[in-house]
Amino acid sequence: MTLAARIESFRKLAAEWLRGLYHGMISHPAYEKIETQAEDHEDAFMLACFPDAFGIPSPVSYYTAELLPFLEDEFEAWERRMWDRGSLLERKGHQYHF
Amino acid sequence: MRKFVFFGGKGGVGKTTISSAYAVKCARAGIRTLLVSTDPAHSTRDVFDQTFTDDPSPVDGEKNLDAMEIDPETEVREHLMETKRAMGDQVSPAMVNEIDRQLEMAHQTPGAHESALFDRFIDVMRSSDDYDRVVFDTSPTGGTLRLLSLPVHLDGWIQRLLHKRKQSVKLFERAAIGNNEPRRMMDGDPIIARLEQRRDDFTFAKETLQADAAFFLVVNPDELSIRETKRAVEQLDSYGLDVRGLAVNRLTPEPDPDEEGRGATFLRNRVETERERLRELREDLSPPLVAAIETRVAEVKGDFLGEVADELDVEIELKIT
Repeated sequence: MTLAARIESFRKLAAEWLRGLYHGMISHPAYEKIETQAEDHEDAFMLACFPDAFGIPSPVSYYTAELLPFLEDEFEAWERRMWDRGSLLERKGHQYHF
Repeated sequence: MRKFVFFGGKGGVGKTTISSAYAVKCARAGIRTLLVSTDPAHSTRDVFDQTFTDDPSPVDGEKNLDAMEIDPETEVREHLMETKRAMGDQVSPAMVNEIDRQLEMAHQTPGAHESALFDRFIDVMRSSDDYDRVVFDTSPTGGTLRLLSLPVHLDGWIQRLLHKRKQSVKLFERAAIGNNEPRRMMDGDPIIARLEQRRDDFTFAKETLQADAAFFLVVNPDELSIRETKRAVEQLDSYGLDVRGLAVNRLTPEPDPDEEGRGATFLRNRVETERERLRELREDLSPPLVAAIETRVAEVKGDFLGEVADELDVEIELKIT
């Protein structure tokens, strides 16, 4: 194996490792964070849509009801998230890796 | 006069009589007129001695007049059925029950009737090209005012929902990097499409009501009715709606001067107090009195309607714009 080839293969390996390291340390947690943030926004949206699920009357529940058939996945996920959320702080805490 | 004319007022003051008379007056002047009743009690059928449905149908003996009656109960039920049908197509059987409960609940809320009526109002206003004038005989004051304030309040609410939804979808799109499929997509999102359609409806209603509608309040010469009317005028004004006038109904007829006796004295006293109240109305309220109609002995029906119409000093000419 020539020197040039060895340097080449080393650089490949280093690039792969670096990419993995970057993905694991920076980008992957970032996706996750963005996704949880999106979920949080969605929760707020669902709550604004269906506050009567909690006994709060909504001026537009008549109109938001017609959204329900299209919100199946969101509705289920929302309910699940509502169940296993101890507090807002707890969920926000999950988003940071200490 | 604007294209859409609303008659409102406290319950039992004679809104149906006045609005029917006005519609008849317009029709007889050769204007294609549609009379829309939104009062669940539906007294239009009693005035014309004829039954009407949800669709405009011609009134017997009046060439240019059609009438329709809107029943909020039916509207709510239809909306519920429609949503359930959509659910059948979209939702997996496991979730149907869960969502069904939520649906039923939403259709029981206090605002449901108003929203349903409001949707129909928008429908009627949108598809009124066949008519030159649409006369609305509305349900008693409270309901009507809430109804007319809907576009103002709901508009803001829907905007907020739309904003939230867009925000979350945007984030979901961002979270999907590389070859990942985003969990929600902005293009073709049925929720955003629906909300946007609703928002357009509300904007349309707001603009039409402010630019192309005139309001008349029917008053009886008694304390309660006058007080309620004052409040109504203030509220309508604050929504930016155009209150054109007040129609006073059920005035006591004055006895002949040579008549004495208990009946005549009673009538004279009543006329006196009513005159006082009318003065109060003229001075305290900005919209002018456009009609003063005396109590009829019999129910106002058929021929009587023409007589009442003659007493209405409301402009009927179409404004050519």
